[in-house]
Amino acid sequence: MKVVDKLITWARCKSPWIVHFNSGACNACDIEVLCALTPRYDVERFGMVQKGSPRHADVLVCSGPVSLQQRERLVTVYEQMPEPKFVMAVGTCACSGGVFDGCYCIEGGVDQAIPVDMYVPGCPARPEAIIDGVVKLLSKLEASEDGK
Amino acid sequence: MALDLFYIVIFPGFLFLGAISLVFEYIDRKLYARLQNRIGPRWYQPLADIIKLLTKETIIPKEADRRFFAAVPMVALAATTAAFLYVPIWSSRSLMPFASDLIVVLYFLTIPTLCFFLAGWFSSSLFAQIGGVRALTQLFAYEVPLYMALLAPALLAGTWSISGITAFYHQHPIYLLLNIPAFCICIISAQGKLERVPFDIPDAETEIVGGTFTEYSGRLLALFKMTLNSEMVVVAALIAAIFIPVFVQSAILNFLLFLVKVFVIVFVLALMRASFARFRIDQMISFCWKVLAPISLAQILVDIIVRGIILK
Repeated sequence: MKVVDKLITWARCKSPWIVHFNSGACNACDIEVLCALTPRYDVERFGMVQKGSPRHADVLVCSGPVSLQQRERLVTVYEQMPEPKFVMAVGTCACSGGVFDGCYCIEGGVDQAIPVDMYVPGCPARPEAIIDGVVKLLSKLEASEDGK
Repeated sequence: MALDLFYIVIFPGFLFLGAISLVFEYIDRKLYARLQNRIGPRWYQPLADIIKLLTKETIIPKEADRRFFAAVPMVALAATTAAFLYVPIWSSRSLMPFASDLIVVLYFLTIPTLCFFLAGWFSSSLFAQIGGVRALTQLFAYEVPLYMALLAPALLAGTWSISGITAFYHQHPIYLLLNIPAFCICIISAQGKLERVPFDIPDAETEIVGGTFTEYSGRLLALFKMTLNSEMVVVAALIAAIFIPVFVQSAILNFLLFLVKVFVIVFVLALMRASFARFRIDQMISFCWKVLAPISLAQILVDIIVRGIILK
């Protein structure tokens, strides 16, 4: 059984499919996420592929503070993803609410609505930082599965 | 009985087709990446994708028809695997050749497309239904030129069996040159059959999320992924068997030749995928009906005339 578990962990770490969700960002982090997916950064080296449907994805990449209007949608998209699923908050606003924290229409960071596994700060976060975030998320997953 | 089971499950059936389709998916993705001037995935990437999907949670939406939703991917995979049994691999004859097996293979290859439509339909999701209807609309566009282009060499050879066609062209290789337009049409419409760029209209991610597969996840999505991969190998092998019937005496050399021929066709398919953008559905249909269908009709006409006058 141990070999099978190892194989499953290996497969999960080598094939993170991401889906990108804008929960109220100013579009800067979104552009950087898209930039990270361009041939220049070639994330397919790590097996990362952008998927259209949350049902296919493993990693939900969220950008922006969670506005009251987007909160419901964010939770729906999160719940549509099959287990095991991970959430990455990209940008300062997604991590903590940023400059919008305490605003009348803002709930706060992404972790106020759904559980977050990895925070990538920056305004906007650079593509290198986003790729590094995904790789660190996967190594964290690998370590936690090994320790189990 | 045991031998039949071996043929169906291991070689050249399910396991062999699964393994070889993963290899060719890697080759396709790697070529695509190199054509975009990037490094591309590592060799185990398709395997990791499949294992990951097989071990993920499988969600069946509340609105969807549970039984059909789960059954449709299996039917699609079974149909492609069945089609592979009738395609020649290690000799000019397939495993179980019989008269008119070409038509049977073509019918088997239509089943996955119908399954994509049914998958979209039974998902009861808006995006999936649009994708399903598009898959069906596209089917009526590319299927006619594809069939006519594959049947033209058969008409010239005067037989519907794949082994008969390969034997004929082995004797008269000069007639292969006559079928070059049909070969080009086959390659183009195969892109439609495999739902790849520029004809990936049914699962256009930028328009309709994931198309027919929007609601599929986990194990069922893995089955669909395997269906698409193995369909690519089966279609490439079929085109190779009919248009490039080069066979030698030794079975091992023939098998290597088979791999080379499939590689060449996958290379052309990857080249097309890298150099085109997606067409709109109306552009695709009018292209298929106004350009490809008349050319394939002309091809059939030429083949009939040649058969009637020269080969009489």
